[in-house]
Amino acid sequence: MGRLFWKFLLAFLVSLLIAGAGVGTVVWLHNSGEQERTPPPGGPGGDTLIRSAAALLASGGSAAVGTWAAELVDGRTQALRIVDEEGRELLGRHVSAGQIERARADESAALPGQLVRRVVAPDGRRYLVFLPPELLPPRPHFHRPPPPWPPLAAVLLAGLAFSALGAWYLAKPIRNLRWAFEGVAAGRLDTRVAPRMGSRRDEMADLGRDFDRMAQRLQGLVGSQRRLLHDVSHELRSPLARLQAAVGLARQNPQKIEASLDRIERESQRLDELVGELLTLSRLEAGTGTLRREHFDLVELVASVVDDARFEAQAKGRDITFAAGDEIIIDGSVELLHRALENVIRNAVKYSAEGSSVDVSIQSEAQGQSVRIEVSDRGPGIAEQDLGSVFEPFYRGANANASGGFGLGLAIARRAVEAHGGAIVARNRPEPGLTVAISLPLARPGAASMPAA
Amino acid sequence: MATVLLVDDDVELVSMLREYLEQEGFDVATAHDGEAGVHAALDGEQDIVVLDVMMPRLNGIEALRRIRAQSRVPVLMLTAKGDDVDRVVGLELGADDYVPKPCTPRELVARLRAILRRTRSADSAEAASGPVLAGPLSMWPERRSAEWAGMPLDLTSTEFNLLEVLARNAGRVVSKSALSESGLGRPLARFDRSIDVHVSSIRQKLPAREDGQSWIRTVRGVGYQLVRE
Repeated sequence: MGRLFWKFLLAFLVSLLIAGAGVGTVVWLHNSGEQERTPPPGGPGGDTLIRSAAALLASGGSAAVGTWAAELVDGRTQALRIVDEEGRELLGRHVSAGQIERARADESAALPGQLVRRVVAPDGRRYLVFLPPELLPPRPHFHRPPPPWPPLAAVLLAGLAFSALGAWYLAKPIRNLRWAFEGVAAGRLDTRVAPRMGSRRDEMADLGRDFDRMAQRLQGLVGSQRRLLHDVSHELRSPLARLQAAVGLARQNPQKIEASLDRIERESQRLDELVGELLTLSRLEAGTGTLRREHFDLVELVASVVDDARFEAQAKGRDITFAAGDEIIIDGSVELLHRALENVIRNAVKYSAEGSSVDVSIQSEAQGQSVRIEVSDRGPGIAEQDLGSVFEPFYRGANANASGGFGLGLAIARRAVEAHGGAIVARNRPEPGLTVAISLPLARPGAASMPAA
Repeated sequence: MATVLLVDDDVELVSMLREYLEQEGFDVATAHDGEAGVHAALDGEQDIVVLDVMMPRLNGIEALRRIRAQSRVPVLMLTAKGDDVDRVVGLELGADDYVPKPCTPRELVARLRAILRRTRSADSAEAASGPVLAGPLSMWPERRSAEWAGMPLDLTSTEFNLLEVLARNAGRVVSKSALSESGLGRPLARFDRSIDVHVSSIRQKLPAREDGQSWIRTVRGVGYQLVRE
């Protein structure tokens, strides 16, 4: 149990005691007021008894009252006395002269609440019906209040138990959260609170869910970073292994030195490219705070990329067609979008069959709210389940040839497009072939609200 | 002349290594993915297989598992430097040794020769010496076969070599570096767990002793000992 538990417990207990003391005081005050109004000595039932006996005597005479009184055996009825003018007791009960004297005095005083009544029987005889106070059974409930300690202790215990329960109920999720935070801090990113929260539904459970979401996101990010690092080290190793093989060949046979040097040069250039692309990717991943924005015609940019790529494509027996309308002014980074388009278009050229052409089109969409660029090749396409992962760093399709780039081009393209608030998707064409569609928002009411890549 | 099968998805690297190995007097076969590699490794033509761990589709570990399910052909793994998991898993699955990648071709050739020497030494020199006997264990180096109390043991060539060294020195403690020299044909590197992994898989192939202990005793800090009784 943590400190918080004890604090909650104390707070609950104190408030419970204060409330208890308040209620107790009110009840006590009420009761003491009640006790000041002294109840009749015979109790509320005493008066009724007298009236009943009197009424019975008045209507049914002494015989009726005798039968009635014999039926009732409780202490109060046993104390009932009915005396005639000569001082004889009607029910044959013992009565002292003093009792009669006092009853007569009470009757003549006619004070309210006196347990005495004068009755005239049908036969004309006069009787005095009364309850001598000394003969009444004792009434402990009224006069002696029960000792206050047992109920007080019970209240205290119950209060303690409920306070402990309440404190535990409040403190437990916080302890769970603390455990989870410690777990994540210790590097266990798979820590989740939800299973420990049970079926709880309140702000604490919401907080737990928020925590889980955060942990999930962290886990995803760290996992992807780790994967990237793993892939990077592998990608760096491949050119290094080739470098070493080339050096080995040159050592083994000096006649091969020229060819080996060519290879070594090629591999070191490839390493340089790889490092450059990795830097671009990591700059894009780190956020786009340093992005330089300007207004420019996107159609013109696409056209220039297409022209550059067409020159290379035609050398390899492929062509690129370009379909565009009027200029489309966009606010963004020329450098990044150029790079994204170049990667996508070159990729398409690389995978298209010889003699075929790559189709590039650009058009505005949604009443000029966004622009859509589509690049379609007539290559083999990719497996449906891999469509989502082509934009992952170092993804290489099953049809990729081993020497064709690092698999970073499309990853860079996606980061660049996302940095502009756009989206990039790939889908297979029926022909077959692959279409990569880039959509970029044009209207940017809040130019500052650029989503992090 | 030995035939080496190179299995690696890096086409350019494989062609350079092939050139190098051919110059060194090997016959070289190549495969560029795990499935083709397994297929080629099992055709009975190969004296040794060099298997890259990182390959698309069927990776090297899985390829090794499939090869070992059917064959005891010596396998040298190319593992990423610093990736101990691949290395240990590979050795546990019955790889004979590993070379960190990138490595110089010279290093690769040295490892290949060491493994080939071990697997072939039996064919010539020690053939006449007859079976090695140690307790319930009988080993015939010339046939590369071993029996435990009459039951045949299925050992990879490295495991066979290590067990042979232990059997020839049965009852005595053999240091890890001696095991590495004569079993793997190379000096023991620092932090090298290969010997331990191999010994552990040999242990799993031997039946337990009556007292529940292993027949191969670990002498901490020194090496291993094959118990006679």
